[in-house]
Amino acid sequence: MTDDMDIVSMTHANDHNLTLSRRAFLGSTSFGLGAVALSTLMDPVTANGAALHHAHRFAPRAKRVIFLTMAGGPSHLESLDYKPKLAQMHGKPMPASFTKGQPIAQLQGHKLVCQGPLFKFHKHGQSGQEIAEVFPGIASIADDIAIIRSMHTDQINHDPAHTVMNTGTSISGRPSMGSWVTYGLGSEANDLPGFVVLTSKGGRNPQPIATRQWGAGMLPSRHQGVEFQSAGDPVHYVSNPAGYDRNRQGDVVDAIGALNRLRNASVRNPAIDTRIAQYELAFKMQMSIPQLMDITDESPDTLDLYGVKNGLDGSFAANCLLARRLAERGTRFIQLYHRGWDHHNGLVHFMKICAGLCDGPSAALVKDLKQRGMLDDTLVVWTGEFGRTPMAQSNKGAVGRDHHMRAFSLWMAGGGVKGGVTYGATDDLGYNAAENPVHVRDLHATMLHLLGLDHDRLTVRFQGLDLKLTGVLEPARVVSPILQ
Amino acid sequence: MKPNPTITNMKPVSRASLVGLATWLLAVTSSSAQVGDRVSFNRDIRPILSENCFACHGPDANHRKAGLRLDTFDGATKRHKGKAAVVPGKPDTSQLLARITANDPEERMPPKASEKTLSPRQVNLLRRWIAQGAEYERHWSFIPPQRPELPRVGRGDWGLNPIDAFILARLESESLKPSAEADKRTLIRRLYLDLTGLPPSVEQVHAFVNDNKPDAYERVVDALLASPHYGERMAMHWLDLVRFADTVGYHGDQDHNISPYRDYVIKAFNENKPFDQFTVEQLAGDLMPKRDGVDDLWRQVATGYNRLLQTSHEGGVQQREYLAKYLADRVRNVSSVWLGVTMGCAECHNHKYDPLTQADFYSLGAFFADVDELGTFRGSNSLPTRRPPEMPAPNIAQATELKQIDAELAALNDPAAAALSEADAAKVKSMQARRDAIVKQFRLTMVTRSVAPREIRVLPRGDWLSDAGSVVQPAVPETLGALDVSSGRATRLDLAKWIASRDNPLTARVFVNRLWRLFYGNGLSNVLDDVGAQGEWPTHPELLDWLAVEFMNSGWDVNHMVKLMVMSRTYRQSSLVSDDLLKRDPFNRLYARQSRWRLQAELVRDTALTNSGLLVRTVGGHSVKPYQPAGYYQHLNFPTRTYKHDASDSQWRRGVYMHWQRVFLHPMLLAFDAPTREECAADRPTSNTPRAALALLNDPTFVEAARVFAQRVMREGGRSVDERIAFAFETATSRRPTNVEIGILRNLYTKHHTQFSKEPAAAEALLKVGLKPLPDDLARPELAAWTSVARAILNLNESITRN
Repeated sequence: MTDDMDIVSMTHANDHNLTLSRRAFLGSTSFGLGAVALSTLMDPVTANGAALHHAHRFAPRAKRVIFLTMAGGPSHLESLDYKPKLAQMHGKPMPASFTKGQPIAQLQGHKLVCQGPLFKFHKHGQSGQEIAEVFPGIASIADDIAIIRSMHTDQINHDPAHTVMNTGTSISGRPSMGSWVTYGLGSEANDLPGFVVLTSKGGRNPQPIATRQWGAGMLPSRHQGVEFQSAGDPVHYVSNPAGYDRNRQGDVVDAIGALNRLRNASVRNPAIDTRIAQYELAFKMQMSIPQLMDITDESPDTLDLYGVKNGLDGSFAANCLLARRLAERGTRFIQLYHRGWDHHNGLVHFMKICAGLCDGPSAALVKDLKQRGMLDDTLVVWTGEFGRTPMAQSNKGAVGRDHHMRAFSLWMAGGGVKGGVTYGATDDLGYNAAENPVHVRDLHATMLHLLGLDHDRLTVRFQGLDLKLTGVLEPARVVSPILQ
Repeated sequence: MKPNPTITNMKPVSRASLVGLATWLLAVTSSSAQVGDRVSFNRDIRPILSENCFACHGPDANHRKAGLRLDTFDGATKRHKGKAAVVPGKPDTSQLLARITANDPEERMPPKASEKTLSPRQVNLLRRWIAQGAEYERHWSFIPPQRPELPRVGRGDWGLNPIDAFILARLESESLKPSAEADKRTLIRRLYLDLTGLPPSVEQVHAFVNDNKPDAYERVVDALLASPHYGERMAMHWLDLVRFADTVGYHGDQDHNISPYRDYVIKAFNENKPFDQFTVEQLAGDLMPKRDGVDDLWRQVATGYNRLLQTSHEGGVQQREYLAKYLADRVRNVSSVWLGVTMGCAECHNHKYDPLTQADFYSLGAFFADVDELGTFRGSNSLPTRRPPEMPAPNIAQATELKQIDAELAALNDPAAAALSEADAAKVKSMQARRDAIVKQFRLTMVTRSVAPREIRVLPRGDWLSDAGSVVQPAVPETLGALDVSSGRATRLDLAKWIASRDNPLTARVFVNRLWRLFYGNGLSNVLDDVGAQGEWPTHPELLDWLAVEFMNSGWDVNHMVKLMVMSRTYRQSSLVSDDLLKRDPFNRLYARQSRWRLQAELVRDTALTNSGLLVRTVGGHSVKPYQPAGYYQHLNFPTRTYKHDASDSQWRRGVYMHWQRVFLHPMLLAFDAPTREECAADRPTSNTPRAALALLNDPTFVEAARVFAQRVMREGGRSVDERIAFAFETATSRRPTNVEIGILRNLYTKHHTQFSKEPAAAEALLKVGLKPLPDDLARPELAAWTSVARAILNLNESITRN
């Protein structure tokens, strides 16, 4: 990639946006279609120019996504998937018909014994959705959410399972769903990232998480997720160096711009035009990010709703509030991670902690979006990377459950998803997704569909293939029954 | 955070001109047959069939539709119910043409669902190809390269270097003229950045500008090829390919012991180790005949290559699953690094576009079935984790000293000589002691040890739980040849020798194509990780073959090829581009000019450190930790991690030595597009984003570099403000600033000098950034103001651009 290539993004952006102000297309349109044309023109022999133009196929129901990742893998059997039969089987050996030939994580070599649900379930809302007692917040939005009880994935350990959840494959280096979405739709934020990652922790010893999970892979790197830090600079290097206030930094940025412009008058390098614009944007972000992070304009009621007590302290509650602020400002894909759901032991204890930290704020986010009229076009997804075994794990103290990939549950709300419905089912013991199974790739197809994108047409050329979020091996389907 | 790099202060371009641009591009990269010419299967037809047909009618028998394959002559001409897709010489009875031109959408190919359509031009090409006899050719990169005749060209000064002959011949055929040679300042800066990754000093620039001897340029080239920094620069590229990193990559991403391998690579390039030997040592150095002393150590270190894959130490890993993952990882990497073909998809199914089968994939993996890696599964969560087998290894300086000591000891201990004198005996004793002391400082590094090979089976659809697939023996992909296995099971050594041999049509082409990218900005075939059917037909196929053959004929002499490239007229052209040329060749695929590009991440760092004088030029050694935002590793666990930046001179070493944490790569490296090195990266993108701007503006590494640069400016830059500005500017860009440019920086200096004089605390705060001690003898407000000037200069596009 050489400097002159920048000319293409320019010519194209101009071609499509003759009437748009520079501000508008720095922020949005050129992200999407501009990127398509860029890849097309840069690789004319192999690129499928039609693909991405044609990815915009449906009327979008959602404009943005807030993806709440319960990292570690919450137990479906203690959250959204009530299994009375498992309670009856409690303490009995797990029938071998379920487990024979199946991969097993930490229970390798251990006796496999059924573990009944550790929390009570009740029906909630007019719809009567069954939700475990540790999730009163989610119970309070039962009529706003669609529960899928038949999720399944390919990977049984955290790192690869997260990679599947985010990129559709366990091979490292593929684009993550947030980067696919900004690639397909661009960002509406003028001076904020289009794809933001927020993290928190609490519960059992947290599993690590990797930047790979929000990487852009072979998509242009501007689609990479930007992680906001809870301590220090919220975005790396966004603060001025010591000794500089905004004006002084502005003097330096102005001098750089003036010198770059002068130089460009003689060498006419399109990359210089781009660099000038990016320095201006960076300088703007040095202001917009502190403004985003300043929550003094939030009412006490709002802070109470989320349970934010100490400002933006990196808690899940604070991150939910920040997610809403980002959504308001046009960020396209906001992904939260709460690390602490890996409950191999002490499940009751740790589930209470994790639910205590995440349940209320998750519900508050949905309620707040709803009261602001934003839920209609904001898709909220709440899920782990996998589920947990119906078998007890007892080798590490108080009882817990091991990793499980054959079944897990999630809920979605807003953005064109029906409220008050439950879709799919596991078998009697909660082991396999038995009725209407939904693979992670089906979830991806559904999310893209709600955003107006055809998952089969949202592609990037890599190593001779038109790479998709939903992969090449198996067909993916949109889960239509849960759509409005 | 990364909005699209666009700006509107250019004239809008009409849709018509865009279409023109696209059409032109198609023409440039395929340079396809004109009406009346003979149609070439490889140039004209294969790209059409591969893109539109092979997915269903290609090499993958398991997913083939209607039993029809179009990637072979036999398949295409086979009769089905009396009809054939291709009837040579008879386009009108060929079903292929009937189907691609059918009006009935049900009949029409490619099917609607594929979203692919053929242009009238493509249909016409297919028609002419069938009419001309429908000859098939093997895919170009699978045919052994032959040395073509040099084309005749009309300009004597462009006929001497074979590269120029090929480039000029194509330009002449397009009625284009090459650009003039770049000015001397640009040239020497280009050479320094391309060959060492470090900018020239002002003195070096002046010496070259004032050297009017005819061989001035060549002497610089020779000096730079001999520079120890040349190996560092070349290593950067190789380390991307082999995915060299300091950590295991999955889950806890623990550190592992591997940095001596980087020393091996740097040393190999600095010594101009023949590429075939370089290849064999990495893949199979442990299987080569033993040699004496330090040289053998390096061969063992080289085998660290086989250990560079990502591993997991997560609690629930299934050994069997991860052995399958590791096999696949190795096959992907070996096929990408050396063969330039994409075998990854064949883990689960036969390749859709190239004649590579799933059996080929597992057979290639079977070469590595003897690599002892069970130690990985016993690895701990310590830092570094242990991944035996490991061995202690020297760094470059230690190895050099050891070799000297061993030579002297050998001379002294000559058995033919008389007994040692007392003095010599003492000398032997002290040298032995020194030797022992050095050996004690060795670092551990992972190496390859061969054990009894595991049984390797084809895994149906990549399913590691399955035993249903057949057992395979080590073999190279069938379409590329076969090894002689009469003496038993083929080994990694056999594989390595075959990879870097004339029997393999790919390796030499792939390597010279990537070298070309380093010095000209594009590959001759520009999909650097795929020279297969879905890759790109080369812009200059004869030149690529000529270079590949030259490379092999020279004994795989890397420096010979590099020198050939940088000595060419093509290389020395100016990178400035006229509107007309930009329109004709926007991506510089014809090389009527040089390309220009932003420096790679590590070099952005290196240039700032060089300009400031902070750079520590030690070659080789352990990885280093520059400043990094606190808390960046907070999501790592097993164990939890706190990053501690180096408080020694290591703080200012080159970027190539930076600690490479795969899952949390240093934010500055990420902002400037360095790859995480989880997988092979044959090319890096070049983004231009606000994140990069923020890093270069505010990362303490660059703020400190600006301050120390300012110290240099005050001490070495002359007396007057303008002199100092000119010194700083020339140091960073290799050219003298204009008066207008000086004026802009003078204004900045004056304004900030006034401000910092009034706000000493602000000056003090700024100057305290970084570990480099602040000298007492420089006035604080003045130094702070010069730091502002230095920051502006280090952030100029020109300072981080190779023109």
